[in-house]
Amino acid sequence: MSAVPVTVNGCDTLPKIFLKVSAERGEAIAMREKDFGIWQSYSWAHYRKRAMDVAHGLLSYGLQRGDVASIQSEDCREWLWADVGVMLAGGVVNGIYPTYQSRQVEHTLTDSNCRFLFVEDEEQLDKYLDIEDSLPGIERVFVFDWTGLRGFEHGKVESVADLYERGEDFGKEHPELVEQIVEQGMGDDLAALVYTSGTTGLPKGSLLSQRYIMYQMSMAPDYLRQGADDELLTYLPLCHIAERVFSGWLPIAHGATINFAESPETVMQNLREVSPTYMFAVPRVWEKFYSRITTAMSEATWIGRKAYEMAMRTGMQRAEKLIAGVPLTAIDKFRYALADRVVFRNIKKVLGLDRARNACSGAAPISPSLLKWFLAIGIAIDELWGQTELGIVTSTRKGVFRFGTVGPAFAGAEIRISDEGEIIARSDGQFSGYLNQPEKTAETIVDGWIRTGDVGELDEEGNLSITDRLNDIIITAGGKNITPSVMENELKFSPYISDAVIIGDKRKFLTCLVMIDQENVEHHAQTHSVPFTDYRSLCARPEIVQLVDAELKQVNEGFSSVEQIKKFRLIDVLLTAEDEELTPTMKLKRSFVSEKYSDLIDSMYAGEA
Amino acid sequence: MNAPLLELRNIETYYGPIMAIRGVSMTVNEGEIVAVLGANGAGKTTLLKTATGALDSNKGQVLLNGEEIQCRDPDWVARKGIAHVPEGREVFPFLTVAENLAMGAYNRDDKDGAAVDTETVYGYFPALREMRHKMAAYLSGGQQQMLAIGRGFMSRPRLLMLDEPSLGLSPVLVQEIFNIIIRLNREQGLTILLVEQNANVALKVSNRGYVMEVGGMVMDGPSDRLIESEDVKEFYLGKKEEGVRGRRRWKKRKTWR
Repeated sequence: MSAVPVTVNGCDTLPKIFLKVSAERGEAIAMREKDFGIWQSYSWAHYRKRAMDVAHGLLSYGLQRGDVASIQSEDCREWLWADVGVMLAGGVVNGIYPTYQSRQVEHTLTDSNCRFLFVEDEEQLDKYLDIEDSLPGIERVFVFDWTGLRGFEHGKVESVADLYERGEDFGKEHPELVEQIVEQGMGDDLAALVYTSGTTGLPKGSLLSQRYIMYQMSMAPDYLRQGADDELLTYLPLCHIAERVFSGWLPIAHGATINFAESPETVMQNLREVSPTYMFAVPRVWEKFYSRITTAMSEATWIGRKAYEMAMRTGMQRAEKLIAGVPLTAIDKFRYALADRVVFRNIKKVLGLDRARNACSGAAPISPSLLKWFLAIGIAIDELWGQTELGIVTSTRKGVFRFGTVGPAFAGAEIRISDEGEIIARSDGQFSGYLNQPEKTAETIVDGWIRTGDVGELDEEGNLSITDRLNDIIITAGGKNITPSVMENELKFSPYISDAVIIGDKRKFLTCLVMIDQENVEHHAQTHSVPFTDYRSLCARPEIVQLVDAELKQVNEGFSSVEQIKKFRLIDVLLTAEDEELTPTMKLKRSFVSEKYSDLIDSMYAGEA
Repeated sequence: MNAPLLELRNIETYYGPIMAIRGVSMTVNEGEIVAVLGANGAGKTTLLKTATGALDSNKGQVLLNGEEIQCRDPDWVARKGIAHVPEGREVFPFLTVAENLAMGAYNRDDKDGAAVDTETVYGYFPALREMRHKMAAYLSGGQQQMLAIGRGFMSRPRLLMLDEPSLGLSPVLVQEIFNIIIRLNREQGLTILLVEQNANVALKVSNRGYVMEVGGMVMDGPSDRLIESEDVKEFYLGKKEEGVRGRRRWKKRKTWR
């Protein structure tokens, strides 16, 4: 392991830099969150006060360096106050997805030997109370929102407000304690635990050190172009490493202001209100933006449609020149400015992206067609690549458009391709191993390099392109290797398809399970007078099956005949984040889905064996 | 298979700029009792009014035995064989019970048949016979509901639409009225479309049910299956696990499966 400490602003741990910058920034706004529908601001001084209260409160309950505290909540200000507070006290933070059911919660709490638990509200509290008996290790539970719990008494449970109060008193008695603990902290101290949903077996807890955090912080602003004047919208789960980096850690180092979305359902509206300057989104969200606009355009007036088509032609021409690296002529620039003024600016306003200076996509592969469309309307999306174990380690460069690649490695990171074609990488801020799983750790970290499980290539400029997950590559009965994600991404580009899983390992031909985009397909059915009642009946309509079939045929045209999808089925259950078929970022889990819907899959191969 | 007695296809209805029904499709087959459940403001009454022509839909079709009847005058639709028993009874207060029933038969030209049907109504609702010369305004709520149903029956409809017949009635009366609704269906072969808040009763008497939320259908199926659905149980039947603390306030997310 590299012994070189990674420092930002002269600090080698998050607590150190937090204490330093929060004192400097004082009353500057750190975060905004809605309260009864009105945006309220919270300053860095406030952030610091609450984080200190949490730290003091936990210390008063006997938290020792390295003890684990878990946070089980939707994104909110208290999430980050607790995150920093736990670290200030020398603890380790474990984020738990609020969509987890009691059984999954139990696993991570037991596995991490968690002592303290922060829960959002009574709903999340009930999950703990359900499994309380099997979790003797939990000493205290703190509830962010006490609503609905008046009169509730429990030996271990208290409101977070009580914790703040207790912490305040404890802090007065021990004024220098937190500073001392922070001073003793080191880059190799454990900072966070991030459980990754195992496609096979139980989730594994990745151990992230302070160095990991500092490395990510040090990547801005050169690689991750986030700075003090940026506004962000926080809407992906903070348990997910990407949102944690962008909304939790980078703003501490560089001072951007974050705004919490009210709920996963209101993201689109909150985007328009906030109009962030720095926008990170998973491909699913970018796809949603695109399908929103195409649907709206299909119903626009004749003039509106014509204007859109003309502007799009100009935008696409410009995008192609940018991709080819051909300089733009004055006429190009003039025409684009006109198209922007008349059409694109309005589109961006509708999406809440009119101030977005930096846009990035990550956590899953994104379709090049989608990137091109966004470039055409004037939003250059950077593609990032990384994983929980590695951190974010590549990004496409500003002004260089190599769609399909995720860019070159960051400083302090190295990428190689193994003989099997697997991407192996190392970085100054990589994880320290899996908790309680030495064999898994040994499998993943080989001679200090991390086996990423991704297959890909490096071009002569050092740009990495990802082909697929190693385990997802399909070998058909005919012996042909297929990388499903390329085709799946093209399918997802369709406004009617929300997600797709291609099947065909050891089979004669490829088939596909499709999850339709409820909003757009319902809209299509309604405008085309296709009667339906609920989601299931919608999926059963022959017109809808045909609609998806047409989309599929179009995608098939771009592929050779062995690579084409011969049959498909729609998943006729409306899945939510609480269902195990989906990851918390709403991707279908390939292995889980292929097992759960094996009957459906077999029906596509019936009579062909 | 014969065309369903009533079929709605992609109905959209507006109140001014507000879309009250955003694309509803449903069917009612001959001889069935079909229930539509939904909270206040879900659009249930609007749906019935659209079907009977009291409101015009901006999109979609209403088919009665395969014939399009949307956006026609309500009296024309009534003559086609749809009787609408409105929410809140709306009997004619200053007419007697007998006159109210006669109003129901306004469109009929077979005087004898109407006389027989009046007797049938009195047979189902003996209380009405006793009060037949009294002004409807003097009737109790339950009796007015009976009168409204009787009045609807008097046009000898192919389809009887009932809008919240249980509104404001005691549980005993609700039971009584629903028993008669079942009898009308079985004995008179009357097809019934029932809009109800009282999900428990509605699902017990009906063959099939639809669940409406904010202007759209979210679930449909045989009533015995709906009554077992977790979401219907929690949100319409008020049954929920008490939770670990014995008093759960939070609500589960609806999935409608």
